[in-house]
Amino acid sequence: MTTSNQITKKDLNKVFWRSFGLEWSWNYERQMNMSFAHALIPIIEKLYPLKTDRAVALKRHLEFFNTTPHLATLILGITASMEESNANNLDFDTESINNIKISLMGPLAGIGDSFIWGTLRIIATGIGISLANQGNILGPILFLLIFNIPAQGLRYYFMHAGYKLGSSFLTKIQESGLMSQITYAASVLGLAVIGGMTAENVAVNIPFAIGSGEAATTIGDICNNIMPGLLPLLFTFFVYYLLKKKNMKTTTLLLMCAVIGLAGAFFGILG
Amino acid sequence: MLQAILLGLISMLGNAEYLLGTSCLSRPLVMGALTGIVMGDIPTGVVLGATLELAFMGAFSIGASIPPEMISGTVLGTAFAISTGSGAETALTLAIPIASLVLVFKNLGMVFILPAFVHKADDYAEKGDLKGVSRMHYLGGFFGVNLIIGVVVAISFYVGSPAVQALLAVIPEWVQNGLQIAMGLLPAIGFGLLMQMIINKEVAPFFMLGYALSVYLNIPVTGIAIFGCIIAIVLAQLKGQPQMAYAGSEVDEDDDF
Repeated sequence: MTTSNQITKKDLNKVFWRSFGLEWSWNYERQMNMSFAHALIPIIEKLYPLKTDRAVALKRHLEFFNTTPHLATLILGITASMEESNANNLDFDTESINNIKISLMGPLAGIGDSFIWGTLRIIATGIGISLANQGNILGPILFLLIFNIPAQGLRYYFMHAGYKLGSSFLTKIQESGLMSQITYAASVLGLAVIGGMTAENVAVNIPFAIGSGEAATTIGDICNNIMPGLLPLLFTFFVYYLLKKKNMKTTTLLLMCAVIGLAGAFFGILG
Repeated sequence: MLQAILLGLISMLGNAEYLLGTSCLSRPLVMGALTGIVMGDIPTGVVLGATLELAFMGAFSIGASIPPEMISGTVLGTAFAISTGSGAETALTLAIPIASLVLVFKNLGMVFILPAFVHKADDYAEKGDLKGVSRMHYLGGFFGVNLIIGVVVAISFYVGSPAVQALLAVIPEWVQNGLQIAMGLLPAIGFGLLMQMIINKEVAPFFMLGYALSVYLNIPVTGIAIFGCIIAIVLAQLKGQPQMAYAGSEVDEDDDF
């Protein structure tokens, strides 16, 4: 409601520069979570003067995040616009912020990885190598320029385009009164995407063999015959159970994973 | 000694591409040239960089997969090749054990050091401390990954390839495998946290839908998002019609799962 709670172009530019470090603190547990929160901090600082509100917003953005880093500003921009609506509108469904983030990151990575890594990088590398093969220092220099000018240009464009897209979309939704449906749709889509990403990212295998000769099979194979990816699924549910019902700390879970991994390898049960 | 330190710093600069817009600084094409500058033979460095770039062509991070430790591979391979006056083949043979060693140390950092910063950031978030979260981001990446690569590269160059091979032989294989296994398990924590946040009775089955589409039909996440989007729109439209019989029972939709 107050004018100080409006995001300016300057704020978005701060987020743009901070987005350069999106993979700096990439970790196995939540991937780009710290760097996403770090990039969004200028927005959080501006929108939420109270420490308690900042705490809630920071925790929200310290959840799992991963996408093509150069194009992630699209999601950062949309998120900024949603945070703005959230700060200025008490009725805003806060849960939808993460739901929309989640439902966007997978598809953006799919398109982004093939464009940035599969196309742009290959073109830049091809030109770079052809010069570098002759010992010409222009090879690596041109390689960096051909890759980075479009990649970082898109990063900048998506920052502002994402914010504009998010703002105009949110205004329309609020006028039409469809917010609860959008929130519901976003959580359906978000969970389906999390399901797919869990299948792609979590890996557990038990190559422990039972039987001998022709009949020999591994526990992992038996599980995969019941359902492909059964073990990673069960492990994820187990972790979810420990988090939700046992309130286990993530530090404890992390140590548990390390111990399971090392012990599993030592006894040759896991692989 | 000075060269070893400089090579360590170059490796850290390469890894710092993740602070500098994922700008491809760590690619062999660039690292080879920079190593050439340190070793005083730029053209050879550039040519070896191009050769190694082709060898590492397939190595770039997509999703959760981490590329082989190509920074140390390129820097040390190129440096040894220039210092011994041998070609690219020798460079790779010398560099591979070192790259494996760096990978072990990097994995140790990824499993034991960096997560400590991630969890410390959670504590700062709890207090609403914006600067604290940013600090964890910077320090976590530096101590958890960047510094490790730099130090191992510098020491490896200083002691030479044979010494590194001897050290690598001492590290038992199960430690290396165990770290790999732990890395497959860790993402479950992140997804568990996400589910805890957004799951409720009404939408819980859609997690299984996404999982099943992936494991049975091998549909990539983009495809799952397209199917998910269609289902979400249809369901949201059905839900939006006030004459629907179940419209009155929507009160408990935020119940815990």
